[in-house]
Amino acid sequence: MRIFGTILLFFIVFPLIFIRRNSVFQAVILYIIMDIAIFLVFIYVPTEKVQGIVQKIFYFHVSSAITMFLAFFIAFVASIMFLWKSSDWWDAVALSSVEIGVVFCTLVLITGPIWARPIWGAWWSWDPTLTLSLVLWLIYVAYLMLRADAHDPKRTRFAAVLGIVGFVDVPLIFWSVEKWRTLHPKPVLIQEGGTTGLTFAMLLTFVVCLGAFLLLFFYLLRERTSIAQSRYSLEVLRQEVDDLLAR
Amino acid sequence: MKNFWYLFAAYSIIWTALWAYTIRLSRKNKELQEELHDLQARVERVLTK
Repeated sequence: MRIFGTILLFFIVFPLIFIRRNSVFQAVILYIIMDIAIFLVFIYVPTEKVQGIVQKIFYFHVSSAITMFLAFFIAFVASIMFLWKSSDWWDAVALSSVEIGVVFCTLVLITGPIWARPIWGAWWSWDPTLTLSLVLWLIYVAYLMLRADAHDPKRTRFAAVLGIVGFVDVPLIFWSVEKWRTLHPKPVLIQEGGTTGLTFAMLLTFVVCLGAFLLLFFYLLRERTSIAQSRYSLEVLRQEVDDLLAR
Repeated sequence: MKNFWYLFAAYSIIWTALWAYTIRLSRKNKELQEELHDLQARVERVLTK
C-alpha cells in the first residue's frame, strides 16, 4: 500500500511543477529525473534472470507506450472540445498531442522489435497487439498528413473526427494484450487480483522512468502548443498586413 | 553481457529521437516567436505612418 501511495503522490505532485511558466526550471528538473532514471535502469536495478539484459528495454518501452496512450487520449478529448467549441486552442492541443503521440508510438514500434529479436527469435510477428499498434501509428500519421496543409477549416474538422475515431484502436490494444491469444507479454505491472509481478527495485525503476517520460510529454506538449498558436497568430497578422497594404 | 547491443541500440534510438525532437521544437518555437515580433513591429510601423 505504501508503494502505491508513493506512486500516486509522485503522479499528483510532479506534473504541478510544469504549471509554472519557467521553462529553464522545468528543463533542469526534467534533466535531473532523466539522469536518475538512467542510473536506476543501468546501475541500480538487478538484471532479470530469464530474459537477461534485454529486459531493461521494458522500462522505457512501457513508459513510451503509456505516454503514447495519454497523448492520444488528450488528442481525443481536445478533438471533441474543438468540434464542440470551435476554439483554436483546443485544435492546437489536439494537433500537438497527436504529433508527440506519434513520436512515442514510433519509439514503441522500434524498441519492441529490438526486444523481440533476442527473446522471440524474430523482429516482428503479425499478431493482434503488434498489428493494432502499427494501425494506431498509421491512423495518427494520416492525421498529421491531413494537417500538413496550412489552416484549412475543412481539413481541421475532418482531422478532429479522425482524432476521435482513431482513438477506438487504443482500448482494442489493451483488450488484445489482456484477452486475446498474443505473443505480446501479459501485463506484469498490475496483474489479476491487484498484485504486481515486479520486485520493489523493478517497480521503483519503472515508476521513475514513467514519471520522467510523463514530465517530458507535458514539457513537449506546452512547447508544441505554443508553436501551433504562434503559427495561427502569424497567419492572422499576415492577413492584416496584406489588408493594410492593399488599401 | 549477452545481447548488450540490443539494449544499446534501443536506448540510443530512444535518446537520439527524443533529443532531436526536443531541439527541433525549441528552434521552431524561437524562430516563430522572432517572426511574430518582426511582423508585429512591421504592422505598428505601417499603422503609425
